[in-house]
Amino acid sequence: MKNYRYALTAIAAALLVAASTSTWAHKEKHTAEQLQAFEDVFLEQVKLGDALFHGDPAAVKQMGVTLSETGMACAMCHPFAADIHPHEFPKFQEHMNEFATLRDMINWCIEKPSQGEKISSDSQAMKALEAYIYWSNRNSKLDPGRH
Amino acid sequence: MNELENDRRAIHQQVGLSGEAPDRSISITRRTFLHRSLVLGGASAAACGLFPLMNTLDLAYAAEAGGETFKFAWISDTHLYPKELNSRFVEKTIRAIKEVQALDPPADFLIFGGDLAQLADPVELALGAELLNELKIKKVFIPGEHDWYLDLGANWNKRFGASPWFFDHKGVRFIGLDTVSKAVDFWTARKYTPAERMGHMATLDGTLGGAWAAVGDKDLKWLDSTLRSWDKAKPVVIFSHNPLYEYYPPWNFWVRDWREVNEIVKPYSNVTNIHGHCHQVLYNEVGKMRSIGMLATSWPWPYAPEGVPKLTKPMVRADPGDHFDAQGWAKLTWNKDKLDNEYMMWRGKDGFFAEAAVDSGTGDNRNQVLSPRIVDRL
Ligand code: HEC
Ligand SMILES: [Fe+2]
Ligand SMILES: [Fe+2]
Repeated sequence: MKNYRYALTAIAAALLVAASTSTWAHKEKHTAEQLQAFEDVFLEQVKLGDALFHGDPAAVKQMGVTLSETGMACAMCHPFAADIHPHEFPKFQEHMNEFATLRDMINWCIEKPSQGEKISSDSQAMKALEAYIYWSNRNSKLDPGRH
Repeated sequence: MNELENDRRAIHQQVGLSGEAPDRSISITRRTFLHRSLVLGGASAAACGLFPLMNTLDLAYAAEAGGETFKFAWISDTHLYPKELNSRFVEKTIRAIKEVQALDPPADFLIFGGDLAQLADPVELALGAELLNELKIKKVFIPGEHDWYLDLGANWNKRFGASPWFFDHKGVRFIGLDTVSKAVDFWTARKYTPAERMGHMATLDGTLGGAWAAVGDKDLKWLDSTLRSWDKAKPVVIFSHNPLYEYYPPWNFWVRDWREVNEIVKPYSNVTNIHGHCHQVLYNEVGKMRSIGMLATSWPWPYAPEGVPKLTKPMVRADPGDHFDAQGWAKLTWNKDKLDNEYMMWRGKDGFFAEAAVDSGTGDNRNQVLSPRIVDRL
């Protein structure tokens, strides 16, 4: 569970460049390897997000974040990411009494129930958490604004 | 026969798995009832989540079967970490214990329903024992998976005694089962340390533990013979950590041998299963047995994405800003001929059963389809 390699991102980038004759995307047809590489980049983030979401110490340490000070991981209240409704954002979030994005609410849950430290909304840890939450909800239907 | 009784029968016909139902002499006497049109359109009623339940549950049984009034209390799922790491869980455990201690007249006994500790750490189990020591009534215990998989129950059994067990009290046979110790060995071949094994078992949505919840062949035989010496019309209460029916196997909200359990309890007309593990309000009837899910003191689980029993009236969505919300303990009273379950939820008295879908932990999942996790999938 502990091998998140950013090397993969680099491999993907290299493949992308190698397979195209110029540095511009979309001018050549995609190769199967390229598509695979794109997906690998995504799934690598999902896996990192899954690990962070489940409180994996190695992933937490690697990202240098404090998502929780209670011993509790997100998954302890959100198994399979249940009770998180990424398909309903953005929406008025009554816990915060404001119009909020998924990232706002991830941070709120880090600060309140988990007593952790907010993370920057475009940090790598945030993107990974978001990737995992969306991935686990990939069959949900968009329903923005719903309470 | 009154109209409510007719509704009740209609529900059983619609949702009963085998067409069987708890004894007709048992009826739920205090509840909101489902309108007949909803009953008859079974599927749509289920979709709306508009099924009956009550904040107080009265289960009547034949008056000649018992007759004394007494109370007992349930606490479970305290999930204690070492004190320094999480003082909220300690605070909430103490609150539950104080509230049970304050019952007047006192409860005859406390059943502790498992998951006392978070990682079966001796420090956590010792803390739990120390806190429960403040409660000066009889106490009985069954284990949860969080109490077990560091040392496979050695510490738990030494401190709190082995399960299964039974005792008879004022006309009721009380049985305590161990539904947690029968995981299939996933650790030896992988050379996991005890702490790694415990870590996997403590992850509700993990996959390595598999279908670990079970009564097991040996204890099924024991249950069968323990019931045989009891009058079939007299009340039986079975305590278990996991529910004795199939709710949601991926989170072990079941026991894998629930069908066998059902076969065994079939001849008995007044069987109530009271269980922990799910950390939420639950009610179900399968065959002749009814099951009531208890609250945790530590945190509430969301309802599973599917399989919530149609007979459950769900609790209101939890407020994550209030660390007491949607948790608590339960007061159970035998009142002459009725068992009355009162959820002592730490939330305003009238606010915890959801009437509208928007307030309910099951009703707000419209348009949502969840997937199992990715990292520990093998
Ligand atoms: C102690 C339990 C608990 C912990 C720990 C916790 N949450 Fe939550 N979270 C909740 C509850 C309860 C809700 C409200 C669910 C509802 O509205 O029905 C919630 C809501 C959310 C929401 C908003 C969902 C919506 O549709 O409005 C997000 C996003 C979220 N949590 C993310 C996280 C993340 C990420 C973590 C880990 C850093 C986390 N949570 C940890 C209990 C918890
Ligand atoms: Fe639990
Ligand atoms: Fe449990």
